This record gives sequence, C-alpha cells and structure tokens, in this order.
Amino acid sequence: MISNTKCECGHQNHIGTVLCEACGKPLIELPDDGQMPAEMRYDGVARRSQKANPSWIDRIWNFFSSVKVAVWLIILTLIGASLGTIYPQEDTFINLDDPAAYYKQNYGNFGVIYHALGLSRTYQSWWFIGLLVMIGTSLVICSLDRVLPLYRALAKQQVRKHLQFLTRQQVVYAGAVPGDQNTWLDGFAKQLKKKRYRIWRDGDALLAEKNRFSRWGPYINHIGLIIFLLAVLGRGIPAWHMDQYISIDDGQTVPIPGTNFFVKNEKFTVEYYTDAELPPTLKGSVRPKMFNTKATLYQCTAACDDPTRDPVLERVKTHDIQVNHPLAYKGLKLYQYDFSEQLRLISVSPVIVNKKTGEQFGPFKLPMRNPALTYQVGPYTLELKDKFMDFGLDEQGRPMTKSRDPNAPAFVFLIKGPDLSAGGEPYIYFPKQNDKVKFGQDVLNRAVADKLDIRVNAMKDVSFSEYTTFLNVRVDKAMPFIWTGAAIFMIGVVIGFYWQHRRIWLRFDGGTLTLGAHTNKNNFGLRNEVAAALNRTGIDVPAKSLDNRRKTH
Amino acid sequence: MNHLLDFSGGALIAALLIYSLSFVFFAIAVGGKKWSNREPAEHGRRWGWIAFGAALAGTAAHVTFFVTRWIAGGHIPTSNMYEFMTMLAMAVMLAFIVIYLIYRNILLGAFTLPLAVILIAYASVFPSEIQPLIPSLNSIWLRVHVTTAALGEAFFAVGFAAALVQLLRVVDFTRTDKAGRKARRWTEYTLVVIIIVIGFLVSVFSFRAAGYEADFQQTVVKTVNGQEQTYVQKVKYGLPPFVKPHNSETVSVKPFLGMEKPLFEAPSWMNGVNAGRKLNTIIWSLLSGLILYGILRLVARKQLGAVISPHLSDIDPEDLDEISYRAIAIGYPIFTLGALIFAMIWAQIAWSRFWGWDPKEVWALITWLFYTAYLHLRLSRGWQGSKSAWLAVIGFLVVLFTLIGVNLVIAGLHSYAGVS
Amino acid sequence: MRRNKTLQFVILAAVLVIGGYAVFQSLFQTTAVMKAGNKPPEFRLLGLDGTAHDLSEYKGKPLILNFWGTWCPPCRAEMPALQSVYDRWKDKGVQLVGINLSEEKLTVQNFAREVGASFPILLDRNRQTEKKYGLKQYPTTFFIGADGKIQDIMIGGPLSENDIESRIAKLMNAKS
Repeated sequence: MISNTKCECGHQNHIGTVLCEACGKPLIELPDDGQMPAEMRYDGVARRSQKANPSWIDRIWNFFSSVKVAVWLIILTLIGASLGTIYPQEDTFINLDDPAAYYKQNYGNFGVIYHALGLSRTYQSWWFIGLLVMIGTSLVICSLDRVLPLYRALAKQQVRKHLQFLTRQQVVYAGAVPGDQNTWLDGFAKQLKKKRYRIWRDGDALLAEKNRFSRWGPYINHIGLIIFLLAVLGRGIPAWHMDQYISIDDGQTVPIPGTNFFVKNEKFTVEYYTDAELPPTLKGSVRPKMFNTKATLYQCTAACDDPTRDPVLERVKTHDIQVNHPLAYKGLKLYQYDFSEQLRLISVSPVIVNKKTGEQFGPFKLPMRNPALTYQVGPYTLELKDKFMDFGLDEQGRPMTKSRDPNAPAFVFLIKGPDLSAGGEPYIYFPKQNDKVKFGQDVLNRAVADKLDIRVNAMKDVSFSEYTTFLNVRVDKAMPFIWTGAAIFMIGVVIGFYWQHRRIWLRFDGGTLTLGAHTNKNNFGLRNEVAAALNRTGIDVPAKSLDNRRKTH
Repeated sequence: MNHLLDFSGGALIAALLIYSLSFVFFAIAVGGKKWSNREPAEHGRRWGWIAFGAALAGTAAHVTFFVTRWIAGGHIPTSNMYEFMTMLAMAVMLAFIVIYLIYRNILLGAFTLPLAVILIAYASVFPSEIQPLIPSLNSIWLRVHVTTAALGEAFFAVGFAAALVQLLRVVDFTRTDKAGRKARRWTEYTLVVIIIVIGFLVSVFSFRAAGYEADFQQTVVKTVNGQEQTYVQKVKYGLPPFVKPHNSETVSVKPFLGMEKPLFEAPSWMNGVNAGRKLNTIIWSLLSGLILYGILRLVARKQLGAVISPHLSDIDPEDLDEISYRAIAIGYPIFTLGALIFAMIWAQIAWSRFWGWDPKEVWALITWLFYTAYLHLRLSRGWQGSKSAWLAVIGFLVVLFTLIGVNLVIAGLHSYAGVS
Repeated sequence: MRRNKTLQFVILAAVLVIGGYAVFQSLFQTTAVMKAGNKPPEFRLLGLDGTAHDLSEYKGKPLILNFWGTWCPPCRAEMPALQSVYDRWKDKGVQLVGINLSEEKLTVQNFAREVGASFPILLDRNRQTEKKYGLKQYPTTFFIGADGKIQDIMIGGPLSENDIESRIAKLMNAKS
C-alpha cells in the first residue's frame, strides 16, 4: 500500500487514493501506456473497502464489494438457472405424488441424477436462493462502497487539474490557440454552454461538465434491484401471499378458504372460433375465443365462523372474470384459470301429477344442494328421507352415492296424500330423465308409480350448470414493491445508459493549451462534441485525432 | 381481406429483395474501395448512401408488410414463429438505422443486412397463416412485451454484427503462435456456424420447392389410471430422413438419391416423433452447411476469415468496439423493459404470477444476466476489444437460443407445451 | 472511520439475518401436506349432534381423526372397525372423531344410522377442513397424541382394527 498519501499540491488523501482528490495528479506509478488507470471511474478516490490492515469484517466487505466477485455471482446464477431448464421442474405439475419415480420413468438415468441433485427444484434450492442472496449483498455493498466516494469526488471538484491528469484522459488535445488566449477561452466556453455544459473557471483553467446525474444511474438501478429482491423475499411471508384454486359450478357460492370472502359463479360462458374464422389447417378444431365467469364476490358480515348457522353475506363486487381480466378487490385477485364442461342440475321445479284424476299440483322448487326436508304440494306432503348426489349401488347392492357432486341426484321421499297409505309411501325421484330410465324409477317405486308421478313439464322449470369454472385466488401483497423496484431499476438504467457524464478540463501552460476530456460511456460522442467546439473556435482538428488511445498505438 | 394479405406477403418479398440489394451495395461500398480509378473515401460515402437508402426503402416495405398484416389479421402479427421472426428482422433493421445514423459505418450495413435476410428466410420456414388468438394471448401487455423485447434483442443483434466485424478485423492471419491460432480458429468457427444456418435454410427451401415428403408413425403405449392406452402419432418430414423417430414405422418415403429408407433411428431418450424430425433437420443443416463451407474453402483456398479480413483493414477496430458496445448499451434497457418487466406484468395479469420459472422466462433472465455481466466487465473491469467482442457474439447466441432454441429443443424433448 | 465500522457491521448483520431467513426458508419449506410431528390445523365444525365443535375441545387426550365420505368405498368399509375401536376405548381416554367430507347432513345421518356408527361425526363444509389438512386420498386418518401433535397419518384404507389398535398402543406409550 501507499504510505505517503499527501500530494504535492498539499492535499492530504485517504489511504488507497490513486489520483489526488484535489488536483488529479497520479499518486502511484502509472503504466506506460499513456492512459488513465481504471480508477478514473471514481476519480481515483479511495473506496471504503480499500484499507490497510483489514479486519475480518473488512475482508467480508472487500469480498462483496468486488465487481469481479459480482460478475462471478452473476455467471454462477446464470449457469444454475440454465440447469433448471433441462427437464421440467417439479412445480410445473399440479399433482406429482412421487417425483423421483416420474423423473426415472420419463428421463431414465439422467432423470434419476437430475432429481437426486435437487435440480428438479432448482429455483427453490438453498444454493440458488443463496446465490440470489449473495447477489443482493453484493449490490448493497458495491453500491455503498462506491457511491459515497464518488459523491465526495464530484461534489468538490477542483478546476485546475495536474497536467498529467489531463494528458492521460481518453480525449486529449494539446497545441496553440489562435488569437488572444482569454478571448479564445471565452469563445470556447460559450460553445460548450450551447451544448448545455456547466462552466467553472479558475484563471486560465476551465472545467466544463454536463449530465452529472447520469453517474447516479447505476446506483439507482441497484437500489431498484435491491427493493425488487427484498419484495421477492417478502412473498415468503405467509400473510403476504396466498395461492389457491377453487372450482365452482354455475350458481354455486363457495367460501374462499382463509378469508372472509365468498364467491359466486353467476354464469360461465365460453365462445369458440367458428370454422369461418379459422385458417385452413385449423378448421374443425376447437379453439376457444373467450371464456368468462360472471362472478360476484361477497363478504361475510356475521356468523362467519358459526357452523350451526348460515353465514350472512354482503355483496361486494360483480365482475366478468376472463383470462387477462381478473377480479381484484383489496389485494385479493381472482383469475380465470380453467373450465370444464360438466352438465349438472342446480334445481328443478317439478309438479306432482295424480295419475287417476290427471290433476297437477305444484310446481315446487327442489334444489340439488341442501334441499328442504319437507314440501307441501297441494294435498301431498313430501318428507325427504334420503338423498344421493350421484346415485349408484355399492358392492352389496345397497344404494350409495358415487361422488359428492350432483351428477346423478336421487331423492327418497316419504309421500303422504290422497289414495296413499296413512303412514306414507316411499318414493324415489330422479330429476334427470336419463337417470330415471337407467335406474328404473318406476320399477323401484312399484305400485306408487301407478298412482302419482313427479315430473318436470318444461325446460324453463330446470336450472342447470353447464360448466364448472376453475378460479385461481391470489393475494400477493409484495407486488407493489416488485413494481416499484422494477420501475426504479428502469429509471436507473435509462439515466445511466442514455445520458453520459462528460467533463472537459483545460489549462494553459506558457500559452499552450492542454485539454483533457472524460466520459464514462460514449467516447465517440464526447470526441465529436470537443472537436466541434474546437473547430468553431478556430482550431481545426478531426475528431478522431483527439482519441488518446489511438495516438499511442 | 385476402387481397390485403396477399399484398402484405408481397411487401415482405419486396423488402427481402431490397435488403439483398442493399447488402450488395454495402458490399460494393466496402469491397470496391480498392478498385482502380476510385477515390476510396468518396466511393465509400457514395455507395454507403445508396446502400443505406436501399435499406430504408426495404424497411419501409417491411413496415408495410407488418401494418397490412396487422389490419388483415385483426391483431398485431407477433403470435407465432413466422410473425415473430419477421418482426424481429424488422426490429433489427430499425436498430440498424438508429446505430447507422449515429456512426455512419458502412461495414455495419454489410454485416447487419445479411442478418435481416437470414431472419426473414428463417421465418419463412414456419407456416405463415394467421391464427386467431386464444384468450391468454389476447392482451395488450403481451403485444407490448413481445415488440419491446424484440427491439432490445435487435440492438443486441447489431452489437453482434459489429463485434463480428471487429473480430474479423483484428484477427491476425500472420501470427502462428498459440494465441493467434486460437483466435483464428474461433473466428472461423463462428463463420462456420453462420454457414450452417444458411445450409439449413438452403436445404429446407430446396426440398420444399421440390415437394419432398416422408411420413412416419410412432405407436406409444401409455398407462393412464392403470389402463394401457395406445396412441399413434404421425410426423411428416420435409427433408429426406437420415434418422427416423425412435421406435417408429415408416409410412412412406420418397426416394432421394437412391435413399429409400432412413439410415438410423433416433435414440430412446428423444421422446416423441417431433424430436426425430428435429434431429434429422439438424443433421441436414450440419451436412449442407459443411458442404457449403467446403466449397467456399476450395474456391478461396484459404480460411474464410482471411478472405474477409483484408477488406476491413481501413476500419478502426476501436470504432467497431464502440459501436458494438453502444448498440448493446442502447438495447439493454429496452430488453430489460420488454423481456422482463413487461413480461412480468403480462404474466401477472394472464397467469396470476409475475414469474413462474418457465424455461422461456428463465432463458430471458439468463440473457439479461449475460449482458449484465458483459456491461460490468466492460465498465468496471475494463474489458474492451476482442474479449468484449467475443462476449457480444456469445450473448447473441444466448439470445437466439432463448428465441428459437428453447422452443425447438426444450419443448421438443419434453412434454412442455410449446408454441409455434 | 469509527462510524463506518458500525455501518459495515449493521449492514452485514442485516444481510445475514435477511439472507439467512431466505436460505432457511428454502431449506425448510412448509407444504400444505401434513407430516408427523406437525400440529393439526384448527377447525370449527357442526356435529351431527347439532352443536359446533372445535379441535381444541379434544386437547389433552389422544385423538383419532378420520376423514371419510359415504361415496368412498374404503371409507364405508372401515366404519365397523372404527366403531368397535371407539366402543373399546371411549372410556379409556382415547377419542375418535369422524369428519365427513362435505356431504349433506341427511345423507351422513342416514349412513351413520345404517352402519351403526355412534362415534362423534363432524361435517366439513365446502371442503375447507380437508384442504387445510392437505388431503389427497380418502379416507385419511390422523393419529394425534395427547401433546397435540400428529404422531401418525394413515392415507387410504380400509383400516383394520389391528391397524388402529397398533397405533393406539403407540399413542398410549407416548402419553405415559
């Protein structure tokens, strides 16, 4: 390390300083290529990590403050991420009970190795998360380590710089000026002002600077990334995140687990492309054009946690949920996920017909889910004795339900009324016509079937669900932070890449002008700007000849 | 409506022809400087303007294609591989125009225009019919995402072209030491890869023009819920089959040069009939590309790099370095916005999560990480010249893999639902 | 530079805590699927007796929680075994509760009467409780120790009396 940090101009520099903070004179032996050392990026100011006798804390700090380490972390993350795309990840399957077997069966021995190495869960693995954490750390430390010294260097710039500082810049001009030195300097300053430079003068020395804010671009984008990464991490907080799937038939209302909300599927509709709209190769194929769940969101206001009563619901919002158009309410979002065509009865309004007299009674409304236990229809009393959602027979031939969805509903009533025995007679009723035939309703009901009939007269008396819609319910409270982080990142890269910080120093030594100019990006533009200003003030030089790199080659 | 579509197709062909012309003009501008009776600078300037004018005209035709197809289809033409690749070519031309206006470098034209031509030719491999959108693709954010991402990638493409010229410029064909040989070899490899892509296009279009076909079918037995079910999958080859799909039967093969049946079968780990077809296409591309390269080598009697390099001698490699870097620096924010942020917004709205580690997403991230590393190496570690040029070349390969390779390879070998 | 040292320390400590949390989370991800050793999720359900019941009511004594439905043949088949185990243990400190998989009360009542099941049966609604318990197959039976932690999970059925008895023995061993 350098022991003497005091410059000949009298300024006392921090340890690790490469160019004097005040006048820019190199404090170390520079390589003989005539160019500025890389430290010009921070004007040669010492970074925090550059210290003599580092402690263990400094060592960790140094590690993460190194751009070399940062690049390695990026490369490792890149390679790690690519490994995860070789085979599908486990979480792309909704129901994968035995992942090991799946990978073996589908991808053979490679699959076994892939799964054993944990690559089937690459993006949730400790090492991948660890890499992201390290990148985040590197972002924080690299930025802190550089932004403060840079701020210090740019806040107090000296106009007159050391000659060596000027001649070692990327853009350099040295030579005589036409006419009076001061008049020329005024003219040159005016030219630069036209180009929106800010000018400082110190006797016959000049400093012109523009777009300093562009230097903050990298730090702004790093802050954006840090916010983004923290927000991603925040999604892991249980209360911040919810992700579940619910399926709802038309007309059904279901609670959203873990919330006070209920959602009703008023009506699901799907539209397909007609053959006329399809190109020749797709004709005849089923291609959905639009599907829509008209959904109503309810909030429970009372008896929400009381299973002995029905919850009291209050309508909150009705929305047409489509792909790309979720229902959103206070951070809760309902997305259209999928649908299936599944014809199910919701309710029927049958009449009771006295077969002898031909009289009709009713209709009465019979819902498939949670029907009442007694119905009074004309002279008849119906007591619901048993009910099957999906009628079938078990191994012993006893009636049972095959599922809990109303695919083949059956109602067992005890009917009392004219011409029936006083204690009532059992009667099984299948609302669906094909079930009635399939299970032989009339045979099962025997003699009662001759006395009365329960039937639906018209289609208007039947309400049914054609589709079951699948909704994805999400809460993601980290999203505003994700977008904020992304927006800040974009602002940072835009000001960092689309504007360039440019500085021009010049001084006169015995009537000879020496000009040095520096930019962190886009030398080409700076060269042209300097050349144009020189040309307009009577010094005719081609832009290319100002390039310091070229002269030495 | 169909008239408009025909007109649209015509505009693309016009654009393709004008681009080819523009390429020829640029080549004359670069190569003709050493012709006798010419003032080199004046020659370059004049032909450079003519070529750039042609490039502008071609782009205008290309934009006409894009707009008319948009009107005819009712939605922005970016929804299948054909539409995406033609749009990418258009974006490359727009990026080229921007960079050309900044730097006025004719070499850049000589290398970017062939790239646009190759992209359009590649697009034409895919079916060009307009497909109506499925609901998830019907989103303004998807359109914004795809177009912005393509524009960012187009700048990377221009950066790649400049980097390639730079590499050809600085490679030293007189050096015989190890490092010199290595640089030469890798530059030549890069050219070989480009020729293989051309070989692929030549073989596909030749056999398509000749109406070649071969059919195979594969019987797959799957166990679903304990029951064995048999599926028959069919595949049509457009190229004579060296390889047939694994475990498949030949339905029909048109004889080609006496070859009446496939020579090999695809290995078992290549699932599905399409994997076999893709392997066959790869073999054809390699074969025709290498033959093409061999012919060029025989004609030139030296490495192709050594043929091109002398024409580049009056260009400063530093200029090319700057152009390549600048193109990437302009492209990087656009790419980030389009390929990551807009993609996240769309994913959040359409798929209910902003990020799902789907292979396409991951590869967009990998591309981004790669260019992030490039920028850090360049800005903070001082990587310039050949090192950074190589990174720009590799970076564009990563872009191409993200755009094409992911759909071709990952979607082909796995059950992952592919597009195109 | 004294202050900077503190700043460094604070930042590194924050990184360690936040980063450690992230990596820890990736190592011990909690999934919806219940495992032995987990605490069973709370519920509040209507019983066939017409009153509401909480999980906390059953605290302090071993509990067998059987999820079943009348539409599930193995669930139906294991009812007699559950009933006889219930009869044998109800006075010896082992509780047995059936949770019906969101069927209607009438259907459940009829079935319980038919098979002679007299152990307490609660009615899940809208599959909420089964989702909380991460059920994938029916029946699923949880054996919960007196300490309130899941000791064993039997997925599928039908269970034989021996299956249940051997697990009760374990529950009782753990208790003493």
